[in-house]
Amino acid sequence: MRPFHPSYIITALGQIIPFLWVTLATMAGTVFFGSLAGLMLARAKVRRRPLSRALANVYIYMTRCIPSIVLLFIIYYGLPELLLAFGININGFNKAFFVITTFSVLFAANMAEVFRSAYEAIDPGQREAALSAGLSEWEAFFRILLPQCVTVALPNFANALVNLMKEGSLAYTIGMVDVMGKGQLMIGMNNGSYSLEIYLALAILYWVLTVVLEKGFGYVEKRLSSGKRIVAA
Amino acid sequence: MHINTEFMAETFLASLGGIPVTLEITLVTLLISVPPAFFMALARQRRKGIGSRLASAYVSFIRGTPVVLQILFLYSLLPSLLNYLFTQVMSLQVNVFKWNTILYAFIVFSLNTTAVLSEVFRSALSTVEHGQMEGALSVGLSRRQAYARIILPQALVSALPNICNATVNLLKSTSLAFMMTVQDITAIAKVRAAYGYNYIEAYLVVLVVYILLCTVVQLLFKAVERYLSSYKKLIAA
Amino acid sequence: MLEVRNVHKSFGDNEILKGVDLKVEKGDIIVILGPSGSGKTTLLRCINFLERAEKGTMDFDDIHTEFKTASRHQINAIRKRTGFVFQNYNLFANKTALQNVTEGLTVARKVPKQEADARAKEALDRVGLSDRYDYYPSQLSGGQQQRVGIARAIAVNPEVILFDEPTSALDPELVGEVLNVMKALARDGATMIVVTHEMGFAQDVASRVVFMSEGTVVEQGAPKEIFRAPKDPRTAQFLRRILRDDYEYSI
Repeated sequence: MRPFHPSYIITALGQIIPFLWVTLATMAGTVFFGSLAGLMLARAKVRRRPLSRALANVYIYMTRCIPSIVLLFIIYYGLPELLLAFGININGFNKAFFVITTFSVLFAANMAEVFRSAYEAIDPGQREAALSAGLSEWEAFFRILLPQCVTVALPNFANALVNLMKEGSLAYTIGMVDVMGKGQLMIGMNNGSYSLEIYLALAILYWVLTVVLEKGFGYVEKRLSSGKRIVAA
Repeated sequence: MHINTEFMAETFLASLGGIPVTLEITLVTLLISVPPAFFMALARQRRKGIGSRLASAYVSFIRGTPVVLQILFLYSLLPSLLNYLFTQVMSLQVNVFKWNTILYAFIVFSLNTTAVLSEVFRSALSTVEHGQMEGALSVGLSRRQAYARIILPQALVSALPNICNATVNLLKSTSLAFMMTVQDITAIAKVRAAYGYNYIEAYLVVLVVYILLCTVVQLLFKAVERYLSSYKKLIAA
Repeated sequence: MLEVRNVHKSFGDNEILKGVDLKVEKGDIIVILGPSGSGKTTLLRCINFLERAEKGTMDFDDIHTEFKTASRHQINAIRKRTGFVFQNYNLFANKTALQNVTEGLTVARKVPKQEADARAKEALDRVGLSDRYDYYPSQLSGGQQQRVGIARAIAVNPEVILFDEPTSALDPELVGEVLNVMKALARDGATMIVVTHEMGFAQDVASRVVFMSEGTVVEQGAPKEIFRAPKDPRTAQFLRRILRDDYEYSI
């Protein structure tokens, strides 16, 4: 057994944390594009058009079955070749492009379910009550319906976001240097020594981020759902 | 772009050879994980005591870190740790470096799945009304009998969809087993892809295989669910 | 046959039972009345150890025990000799009506399956459910579910049956069928302790009415005495309010 240096965990964290913005920025990009696509999927699911609905269902079903790493490899190795056939060269693109594309494809399916369940939680009686109280359609939507939707959507969204962050750590496998990638680089440069310390540093970082995300969203949810809390009490 | 269909067909056949390994990891992991997950769920249900706290911390840590990180960490720790324990501490003549690396896959995925399933079981147990236990006690059943005959059968039915989800996620995670040099579907395709730079073809094949496997798993769970929930199905009737 | 003395029970700072005594002889039909929060249900649940009282003693035939220190063995013995009917039935959702009744026989009392089936069918017949043996609780109406609950309680030939507001979760039109079953049991000589708000049942069936308020027994006696000439002002006030509500309800 080689010696274990707990103090190196701190050293490693100091070198890894500057790359946190890469992880967070890729997540932000994925959330943006994935939510847009998810919104379209959710729309297709709740409308009564059989074809678009079936397509949305197939999309969501298939993405649920695909391991992230397999899709990441397909998009990283395959997409440039595919687009080259149409005369578009993306070989020099930033690695983040492939990562965001991959995880947007997967995240969209999660977001579709988030949007759909929020939409279905709307009670038509709430809108009617708001209108009968003299609110306009817009006021009814923004003051009554939207806050209710958001409380339904938030826990699912938080869940999807945490999953995205964890799955996103696979980006290092195509050479992107986020926190995980930096950790791997450090291990490579040290010829594999300090690997345990570095992995622990990464684990602590991810754990803290997860807890912060969950607690943060939990807090917002609590604030927004004050109406429900009274019922439960 | 030129898709090499002949290569795809060959790769498909070759990766079929990896299916038993993928399924073996999934199945063995589930078998190892269910008992400890169940006891952790019971411990956490009590909401007090050291056992409940430890279980909560464990679940939070496992669920708060990426699977790939757990794999990398344990795969760089376990072999030398086990070697040290066996040869130095217990002075056994064991060469852990000759072990099949699938053993490490079992360990890593079980540690992960135990945490996931304990959450599933906990929420399933909480769906069974407290009155069911009281009813059982009032007719003279012991707590153990009440759990075995009344609480668990009901909890299992409500847990099945989530167990199915956990299994699908586990199946997907096993695609990372190649990092421990386990020869699963992904590993076989990866090697073949590297031969002739047929990446897309190889990974498209893997993708199809995973979709097929997931479909089979989900159909199986649906069948079990239909069989077990006869008492619920009748509500709708 | 059954006697509890000085029962104390608190939930947190809230003292629910403040030293209750209750004596039951074989064949008694005890109806416990009182405003909500008076501790009636808690007393019943303590007798069956569904709640653990902090203080008090219990004599059940030859079993003498302290509530606080009762062993698992004693608790089990007492539960096996009593039946409990719950407000919200608590039927086993994963078992049919028949299996709900046999469960306590085959598993807890090791009665052979054939004999258990016969006894369970007899119990279900007594509550008028001979055509519902194989129905799951979710397929039965509230009144039918509660009758299965009663069958489950009587099938084990308990020495005393405890009823915890058996009709208060039921729709008004289903109350009658459950009360009729309970009246029939009373006629057949069962020993019963009933917590209820059904004044008619108390007047017609009870051998003794116990009035509880704020965790103590305020007064007890024959239904005639209690209803015609309550001695305690709290009893009088409660009866006035209930009977007036009944009157208003009927118009």
